[in-house]
Amino acid sequence: MSKEAELEGVKQSVVSGAYKAFVGVWMTGVILAAFLYSPEIANLKGTQIVYFHVPCAWLASLAFLGSGIYAVLYLRRQNLELDVKSASAAELGLLFCVLATVTGAVFSKANWGMAWNWDPRQTTIAALLLMYLAYFALRSALVGAEKRAAISGVYAVAACVVMPFLVFVLPRAFESLHPTVVRRGGMDPEIAVVLAASTLGFTAFGVWIFRLRVALGSIALSRMEEPL
Amino acid sequence: MSDRYAVMAVTLIVWIGVFLYLLRLDAMVRELRNKK
Repeated sequence: MSKEAELEGVKQSVVSGAYKAFVGVWMTGVILAAFLYSPEIANLKGTQIVYFHVPCAWLASLAFLGSGIYAVLYLRRQNLELDVKSASAAELGLLFCVLATVTGAVFSKANWGMAWNWDPRQTTIAALLLMYLAYFALRSALVGAEKRAAISGVYAVAACVVMPFLVFVLPRAFESLHPTVVRRGGMDPEIAVVLAASTLGFTAFGVWIFRLRVALGSIALSRMEEPL
Repeated sequence: MSDRYAVMAVTLIVWIGVFLYLLRLDAMVRELRNKK
């Protein structure tokens, strides 16, 4: 190995180590701030769950958007690495969508006495979960990397187009119990700071998981195994 | 108030567990990549 390549390797591992240390320290700080610094939101029990529920939903939306974008790129360039990225982003989105659903149900139970009441927000998130579960069912049913990447790529693009309607449009079109925490000028600055910090931490955490999953998928691809 | 501390402790323990697991997974992926 040349000296330049060795130096580049050391540089990469230092940056990667610093990134992981940042995620670890930042998220620990967010947890401590959520419980020790942040005030309670008026008329809502279990305020702290908001700092985990909102970033989970944000990260799920971001990952689903990423999945759609990588699927478009795959359909244009026919590079299987892009399909691995699209599927990894969808996996990440599904994971955080499940976490957003569970934390939402806990919040619902604490405030309204029922974990699930088919509120518009809950109904649309259930539809979103089913839509992406179907994506993985479709992937697992298709044989051949290229065929799977092409068909599931088209599905991922269609799902990505539907996703904003389920997350942002439909829940607002009907009466809902879901509180609007992020309101223009209506949020306590201390709550806004912790929520912003949590969203940043979750995004960095999500990027780490995504890169790990892509690395695993790429290794499988290079060994001519089924990537996902 | 004590409930709040208990929930915080559980959250911290879960987070540290997830973080350590991911660190381990990260090291394993790096090792696999180097073997390639």
